[in-house]
Amino acid sequence: MNFKQYSPYRNWGTYAVLAVLSAIVLFPLIITVSQSFMTNQEVNRWPPKILPTAPTVESYNTVLTQQDVRLDLWLRNSLLAAGGYTLAVLVICTPAAYAFARLRFPGNRLLFAILLVTIMIPGQVTLIPNFLLMRDLKWLDTFNALIFPGAANVFGVFLLRQFFMQIPQELEEAAVLDGAGYFGRFRHVILPLSTNAITALAIFVFLGHYNDLFWPIIVTSSLETRTLPVGLSIIQSSYAGQYRPMILAGVVLSTLPILIVYAIFQRRIIQGVTLTGMGGR
Amino acid sequence: MARIIGQRLTEPRHSIFPFSMNLKTREAIAAYLFLSPFLIFFAIFFVRATISSVGMSFYDWRLLRPTTPYVGLDNYIDLFSDPIWWSSVIHTIYFAVVTVLGTTIVGLLAAVAVTRPIHGQGFFRVLLYIPQLMSVGAMGLVWNWLLSTQFGVINYLLSFIGIRPINWLGDPNLVIPALSLATIWWTFGFPMLIFIAGLQGIPEHLYEAARIDGANGRQIFFRITLPLLRPTILFVTVTGIISHFQVFGQPYIITGGGGPGRSSWTVVIYLYQQAWVAYRMGFGAAVAVAIAAIMAVITAFQFLVISRRVEY
Repeated sequence: MNFKQYSPYRNWGTYAVLAVLSAIVLFPLIITVSQSFMTNQEVNRWPPKILPTAPTVESYNTVLTQQDVRLDLWLRNSLLAAGGYTLAVLVICTPAAYAFARLRFPGNRLLFAILLVTIMIPGQVTLIPNFLLMRDLKWLDTFNALIFPGAANVFGVFLLRQFFMQIPQELEEAAVLDGAGYFGRFRHVILPLSTNAITALAIFVFLGHYNDLFWPIIVTSSLETRTLPVGLSIIQSSYAGQYRPMILAGVVLSTLPILIVYAIFQRRIIQGVTLTGMGGR
Repeated sequence: MARIIGQRLTEPRHSIFPFSMNLKTREAIAAYLFLSPFLIFFAIFFVRATISSVGMSFYDWRLLRPTTPYVGLDNYIDLFSDPIWWSSVIHTIYFAVVTVLGTTIVGLLAAVAVTRPIHGQGFFRVLLYIPQLMSVGAMGLVWNWLLSTQFGVINYLLSFIGIRPINWLGDPNLVIPALSLATIWWTFGFPMLIFIAGLQGIPEHLYEAARIDGANGRQIFFRITLPLLRPTILFVTVTGIISHFQVFGQPYIITGGGGPGRSSWTVVIYLYQQAWVAYRMGFGAAVAVAIAAIMAVITAFQFLVISRRVEY
């Protein structure tokens, strides 16, 4: 029975399924890359061409020199805003998770139960009051509006609390004997042992923010503060008619950074999805 | 640890607090200090905003008008008598159900395939997760083009099996399935990874016992794998419905904000239109509260249905 299970012939069905799935996943990406090297005339043709006859980087030149298309700026904005947001989430949520996981204080359970319930409330409810607050603070069209409103990430607190609770109590007790205070225990015992969980959370908080569209649309308005997804949606509405290869070049250029990050951290990202249960949209 | 010992021995213990304060009080104070940044942000941007949203929904609050008269339940009455709202609700549920069914089935299929004893398990996992990493902006631009009637590659592929060009994004009856198709391609990687974890949690001896009893592959899948995956399926479908019910970017980009006409308006597009195109903030707040209420009902319903089945 067993040898049959592991012989390659036995698994041809599995390979077939994976080949089909891989083709479905890759086909749109291949078309995008391939047609971004075509000219406008070549793209607007039936039947569509899969490979360019004379590959040209014209569309990349256009997308990088267009007055109202600022991919470099948008990419920088996206990275800065997502990076700032990730940092804010970690600074705010890690200590809170430590308090919930390890410290006894009146209201611990009640407070945590309240947080549990709030995770059921969708983000749309807070959009309008927070938008008006941004306006009153004069934060519209600034990075502050992209960084602070979502920084109290309840999910991050849950995840880290769960992880901190698994760290053996004895390690902290040893630090107490050495005279460490609460902050010392948090800083020198808990944090160094949690780098995996914290990195996983950071990656997903970062990716989630990098890909967000709704909030950046409503709080940014000038070309200079837009983030990549918002910028791409603007390209689509103003250039979809004639300049298709240019749009596809924009897609390639804006997706490349994420794919490079993915190529480097793929194992961590894959593990992180499972660990955090995050990554769904 | 050595570093801590060295550091701490030279310092006086508990220097900040008076000696009379007992351990319990000190621990509570420390806890609230650790919590305070989080609680401050949470209070301002979540608690205040949520309460304010409910409050605003009783006012005719418009962005560009100085007065905000109290109108009681009028916003809700207007909302519930607006056929555009109800058609947006239907589109959203239609989209969420089709998309979750699709991502769950494709995700499970992919997960089963990559957990079988084959070469390149890790490679396929990494490959199949790629679409999920794209932003909705990039993915939207790609699919807007692939689904084009005149020059789209999807119609080109279909032409090989004799199907005439389909107006995916221009036909009111096809636009939601088309958006679902694009979204399934984009997001099945998440359920796949969750299912992989679920599959790895099923003890091997159950499969061995079934094989000894002479069960075939299909029987093993439907009698062992699927029942034991039920908690995972619950998680994937509940989180899927919640996230896909909030769909915004796909219609915003692929169909230019909900077209053709209003055929792909979803509830969040409706909210966007009311609050940020028509500047009706009070009415928008009522829309947001209604969205939250619908989602609470859906989630509760899912938990009831799936948890009521008999446990093995």
